[in-house]
Amino acid sequence: MQRRRAPLAVLTTVVVTAATLTASTTAQAATTTFTPTADTYVDNAATGTNYGTSGQLGIDNSSTKRTFLKFSVSGLTESVSSAKLRIHTDDVADAQSPNGGTFRSMSNVSWTETGVTWNNQPAIDGATLGSLGAVVRNAWYEVDVTSYVTGNGTFSIGVTSSNSDGADYDSRESGSTTAPQLVITSGTTPPPGDPVFVGAGDIADSGSGDTATAALLDNIQGTVWTTGDNVYPDGTASQFNTYYEPTWGRHKARTRPSPGNHDYHTSGATGYYNYFGAQAGPSGRGYYSYDLGNWHIVSLNSNISMSAGSAQEQWLRQDLAANTKPCTAAYWHHPLFTSGANHAPSTATRPLFQALYDANADVVLFGHNHHYERFAPQNPSGGLDTARGIRTFVAGMGGAGAYSFGTIKPNSEARNTGTRGVLKLTLHSNSFDWQFVPEAGKTYTDSGTTNCH
Amino acid sequence: MNSRLLITLTAAVLLGGVAVGYTALSGATSEDAAQSVPTGAGPRLMVLSNGKLSTVSRQNPAGSREITEQRCDRVYSAAGTISCLRPVGALKAGELAVLDNQLKELRTVPLTGFPNRTRVSASGRMVAWTLFVDGHSYAANGFSTSTGILDTRTGTLVQSLEEFAVEGMPQRPVDTNYWGVTFTADDNRFYATMSTGGHRYLIEGDFAARRLKPLTDQDNVECPSLSPDGTRIAYKAAVNGDPQQGWRVSVLDLATKQITPLAETRSVDDQPAWVDDKTVAYGIQRDDGLNDVWAVPADGTGTPAILVPEASSPAPIS
Repeated sequence: MQRRRAPLAVLTTVVVTAATLTASTTAQAATTTFTPTADTYVDNAATGTNYGTSGQLGIDNSSTKRTFLKFSVSGLTESVSSAKLRIHTDDVADAQSPNGGTFRSMSNVSWTETGVTWNNQPAIDGATLGSLGAVVRNAWYEVDVTSYVTGNGTFSIGVTSSNSDGADYDSRESGSTTAPQLVITSGTTPPPGDPVFVGAGDIADSGSGDTATAALLDNIQGTVWTTGDNVYPDGTASQFNTYYEPTWGRHKARTRPSPGNHDYHTSGATGYYNYFGAQAGPSGRGYYSYDLGNWHIVSLNSNISMSAGSAQEQWLRQDLAANTKPCTAAYWHHPLFTSGANHAPSTATRPLFQALYDANADVVLFGHNHHYERFAPQNPSGGLDTARGIRTFVAGMGGAGAYSFGTIKPNSEARNTGTRGVLKLTLHSNSFDWQFVPEAGKTYTDSGTTNCH
Repeated sequence: MNSRLLITLTAAVLLGGVAVGYTALSGATSEDAAQSVPTGAGPRLMVLSNGKLSTVSRQNPAGSREITEQRCDRVYSAAGTISCLRPVGALKAGELAVLDNQLKELRTVPLTGFPNRTRVSASGRMVAWTLFVDGHSYAANGFSTSTGILDTRTGTLVQSLEEFAVEGMPQRPVDTNYWGVTFTADDNRFYATMSTGGHRYLIEGDFAARRLKPLTDQDNVECPSLSPDGTRIAYKAAVNGDPQQGWRVSVLDLATKQITPLAETRSVDDQPAWVDDKTVAYGIQRDDGLNDVWAVPADGTGTPAILVPEASSPAPIS
């Protein structure tokens, strides 16, 4: 059997070389290689054990071992023309197998490398991306995942085997020369011109964070949104003039704000309403809507009643019923979904989220916790919902001092604390791109695309 | 077959039976995994793996780990008593759950707030916790805490240390906050932090007498943690006395009052835990919200190293 397997390994090497050559000789194409942000396996012979720090990834049918890989793809500025998963068999006895496994996409991209066990493993529930036949030890293999990895974002791949003679691959902990790779070739620039919708929450105070994020806005066109706590500590007229006006105030004419609890430290948030005037909707009410391109946008007020039947909730349902745009976004201050250690999820906001979910809305933006967090599309109860769920972001990185995270909540897909920045959405006719734009001198970024319902 | 061999074989079979029972208890099935603390050869460390109660081998703490389905936002354990601060659920408020090492629930106490610290006395009898709470009007620009103690033997529950008298303060200032309890070996005296007027004092408490004594010569001591031999306190010290500048993990010798900053120079916002009399462990959060448990020698020498990757809330267990 060893003699028959050897040519397969050689063939694999040839294929990879050819792909590399193609990429490097095509003028427009760029090749980017990503290593996993997490990889591990589970074993039903040890159902409560996690192998996240192991250098190996196992697949087997007796005992049953399954492998999970996760990649964060970011920084792509052009569309993906091909995406290949490359995986290397371990250089140990018995790493080889008659069956290299079946590779499938997964909807769950929020599992953690040191948290997954057989007992709590995420479902391998997506389309089959490819299968490998016999694999030998110490060799590279490749699976075409272009149908799944179509742009920036977070991607999970599950690997199973139907053979009781399992295969062992190298994990990211094995080192850079044998770690799994996602090799992406991209080319052809998408058409520009769709509306840009950029902003953050928790913005202006006596520190310098607001200056850093306002400087980002200087170079980004489009409509500016805020998710509350526009100025600290108390939302007074004087604080708006002292802290907000010299920074984000430069972009006031294109800003559509929402109020936060600190804006309401001034009774009735009069400082906020007087400063923003008609930009903040009807004075004293704090909720309003407008359209951008193919999108309907709703700014809401989480500092007043949001209960089912409240004036705000009734207005929202009527506003959404009258909407004719195919895509809908909303934003307010207090997050329904957050892993922040300072402010727990605000369940009082759920009736607003329910109304948006009932109307097939696509994205909701929050603030309040001073950091960045992206959640998968969820239903109002926080369940993963790839059909109708609403993608949410906590974008409280607008300038105020950073907060830490507590236990990471289910469906949290990306997080950062300590980098101030703005979240830039590009509103396409039937989808949106998101991009975290960091303050000068910082490197964190996060980007991706979600289709409208 | 002679009788001596028969006895040996019988003993072997009996031992085998014990081993099988032990394995089943250690969480071999899905249900068992949620119902017992996984054990193994040698001493272990209890940690949280993103909010799930877990254990790792103390000999190889970065190796594979056993993960239960018990959710806690903070955990500590000693002498078979586990204190688990359970998170707020969809339909349920948060609570303290006192568990035995089979994860059997012995007592629950409903709590309101965000879990922050918890400790169990070395004997397993006394349990303490600290939560962040909202809604105290004087805390509009700061934060507010709630710290309680449960005597698991008598059932005596002190919901808040604010119930206790403070020596030298007939009128307790309204801005007083307490956090970070650590117990002494007598299961009565304890240490904690009292904050008032911008200072954070070490206090010594007497549970039976319901009395707190500020040790005002020890300012700037937060989240004390008493060493197993009872001679030293590991704690976090605000840099230049200003929490905005972060915290240096330090050790105070109770007899000599000498303070030793440890070799960890990054800011540590945690109640340290003693792995043994020579080693202090603590969590540090990464930018992406995951935590690692680090350890550093308790005498100021050496360099910090990751003890358990992607984990928080360490507690040595036997």
